[in-house]
Amino acid sequence: MRRPNLPLGPIALALLAAGPLLGCAGEAGTVLGRPGVLVVGLTDDPGHLNPAITTQGGVHTAATVLYNGLVGLTPELEPTPELAASWEIENGGRLYRFRLRDGVTWHDGQPFTSADVDYTVERVLLEYHARARASLGTVLDSVATPDPLTVEFHFRSPYAPLLQQLNVHEAPILPRHLFEGSDPLTNPATRAPVGTGPFRFDAHVPDVEIRYVANRAYFKPGLPRLERIVMRVIPDAGNQVLALEAGEVDWLFGVPGPEQERLARGGFDLVRSGYAAGGSNCIMTLSYNLDRPVFADPRTRRAIAHGIDRRQVLERILFGEGRVADAPISSGISFAHAQGLALPEHDRAEAVRLLGEVGWRLERGAEVRRARSVPGVPDGTPLRIEFVHFPVYASYARLLRAQLTAIGIDFVSRPLEPAVFVEAVFRQRDFDMNIVSYCNMTDPEVGVRRMYVSSNIAPVPFSNASAYRNATVDSLFDAARSTVDRAARGRAYGRLQEILVEELPYFWLVETLSTRAHNPRCKDFLVYGQFAEAATCGG
Amino acid sequence: MARRLLQVVPAAAGIVTLAFVLVHAAPGEPVLALAGEFGDAAYYDDMRARFGLDRPVPERLLTYFARVLQGDFGISYVHGRPAMDVILERLPATLLLTIAALVLSTALGLGLGTLAAVRRGGIADLGVSALVLGLFAAPVFWLGQLAILGLAYALGWFPVQGMTTPGSDATGLARLADVARHLVLPATVLASQQLAAVARLTRTGLAHELESDHVRAARGKGLPERVVVLRHGLRRALLPVVTVVGARVGFLLSGAVVVEVVFAWPGIGRLMLSSLAARDLPVLMGLFFIVAFTVLIANLLTDLLYARLDPRIRYG
Repeated sequence: MRRPNLPLGPIALALLAAGPLLGCAGEAGTVLGRPGVLVVGLTDDPGHLNPAITTQGGVHTAATVLYNGLVGLTPELEPTPELAASWEIENGGRLYRFRLRDGVTWHDGQPFTSADVDYTVERVLLEYHARARASLGTVLDSVATPDPLTVEFHFRSPYAPLLQQLNVHEAPILPRHLFEGSDPLTNPATRAPVGTGPFRFDAHVPDVEIRYVANRAYFKPGLPRLERIVMRVIPDAGNQVLALEAGEVDWLFGVPGPEQERLARGGFDLVRSGYAAGGSNCIMTLSYNLDRPVFADPRTRRAIAHGIDRRQVLERILFGEGRVADAPISSGISFAHAQGLALPEHDRAEAVRLLGEVGWRLERGAEVRRARSVPGVPDGTPLRIEFVHFPVYASYARLLRAQLTAIGIDFVSRPLEPAVFVEAVFRQRDFDMNIVSYCNMTDPEVGVRRMYVSSNIAPVPFSNASAYRNATVDSLFDAARSTVDRAARGRAYGRLQEILVEELPYFWLVETLSTRAHNPRCKDFLVYGQFAEAATCGG
Repeated sequence: MARRLLQVVPAAAGIVTLAFVLVHAAPGEPVLALAGEFGDAAYYDDMRARFGLDRPVPERLLTYFARVLQGDFGISYVHGRPAMDVILERLPATLLLTIAALVLSTALGLGLGTLAAVRRGGIADLGVSALVLGLFAAPVFWLGQLAILGLAYALGWFPVQGMTTPGSDATGLARLADVARHLVLPATVLASQQLAAVARLTRTGLAHELESDHVRAARGKGLPERVVVLRHGLRRALLPVVTVVGARVGFLLSGAVVVEVVFAWPGIGRLMLSSLAARDLPVLMGLFFIVAFTVLIANLLTDLLYARLDPRIRYG
């Protein structure tokens, strides 16, 4: 057969050459590596940039640089002046009076006043910010503005944790002159925001990037030091790391455990902290469904806890990034974190003994225990536990299955995507055990109370998943909320943690940390609050 | 022809209805996207009522269709603005990616298939067959990751992520070049499976045609081999290829979901994934509408092209 004389060689050469040639072309206008410009990697496009109407972590991560709270918080959670220059607490915690900074302006040049605070709290936070609404909404009587630079919070009863709830994440202040009389969800300033923060909004290209420029009228002298920030949306965590190594981004808010050593070897700086914009002081926590007879006896819950080796969880799943939990409240909230509690340690023999004592017997040659005279459970029922979890926690499910199978439990894992998980656990209560990263936030009133008080057994995401009821614990939470004296609060939280460890409605596995990584050309980042306020990037 | 066009309307309506029922029958509700965590029960009930999520599904479906007929696809729960605005601002990126992949896969597939057919049994044929089998078998996400690691990360020929250089204000030709540079890897990866299908079909069809009587007759008339192959062989061999190219528009769009995530390409594929996770129903339904319509139109165009290539086919 004759063969056609097609110009195959030149075609192939042209194809091969096209890639590298295009690769070298078109870098005009880039800011990569330019002094004064920080490029940040984001996992998701936040959709909008109004942190006062949502508790979604993605919005807070992207929007924090635009706004301020009345106070800032140190890593020890101590309040520091921010939009408020000073404050007084009166009437035993019923009145908080804030003196605002003079001369602060919004990014559009309008003056910041107490009216902005009043509007934001009463019209936005208490209506749309789930955490503020759930905590402040039940106790706040009114907000008063005696003059443009004074704000008073009046409470129906003494309220202790207010100062931990007024930072930029819990209570970012919005400009009243742009929002008043409108729906904050659809107001244009929700997408093209105007704040008082160290950076001004420049542009948002959906799913591509958000651009910010320095606010040269910022109320903190000499700040910010950067000229621009560009936040790039890169959905895959592994590719975020590659982009950092390739010089396409300078800062990542999170780095997967296995990649951290490589980045450190490559000269990148790693910063570990229990703080994150979307949730701080988080504990990976197992919930037992106390509505089910299998968990009615606390000895069963204790046996399962003894069957779990939490050190393995820390080392094999988190690559050592965190610490084994030693109390129900995170060590990041030091005044409330109880010391010296005896959480069940890994002890397989004790687990087996307790299960046998309750009536879960292992017949000769069998692998799964069966009930014999277990209250509420028909004899012969196998000890089968259905464990529901987010797909990203599959490694926890695998490890727990290995550990609990060894004590005669048929452990079945059911991964559910978040929206389905919320419905299964909190609405339908269709689970035996689950795992949730419960973030304790800046105060137990904000992030801990929701897990334990009986009034929070409701079809509400990430509430009291175990359906735990204890009137003493309820009253101790109430006492801690209304006691301004921090030592007395600490004692109330200490007592209720003793009860929790005794009754084990949950089991607290590990306190997690998040690891940021950045190019060494950039430095002076803050872990808390305004992460880039004082940062610089060299050439 | 008019009848074929009219069939698109009920087909699109049927697909959207089915998608609506499936999405609403699936477990999980958009309460987290609407309200975030930590709220109280009353707050979540308020948000459900505000967005009509407390109404029965049949009532919501009727309301939805009534609004869609007026061009209102609802407000996105996540983005807080009209769902169709959210979709349309991302659509050009996906169109660019899928059209580039379609052109690339068709051109390369035809070229490789032709090469393999005319050198049947030779090294070129074996090489092309091995290549297309490999591409057909390789998962797109794996190929994408491999391309990033090899061509972007290790060799530095292409950017690792995105559609444009960070913070770039480039315009005109510079911007075109910037986008083209970012487009090469994702478009090539997305094209890979389609390319394999086109090359396989072209090779088989053309090899068959080159043995047929009319090709022998053409050769007998002393026509140059290039004319014999391209005009007499390839034209007839194109019929099944056209069918496959049209039918695979849907596959390309579904492949774009994966490719857009791997390469951080800001198109509707990524939007679909994030909207599904957040149960952003107005955006999801708008996406189903757009995708269904695109696939139906692509199939219609395929039918028309088919008739043009083969005069025996007529649509009454």
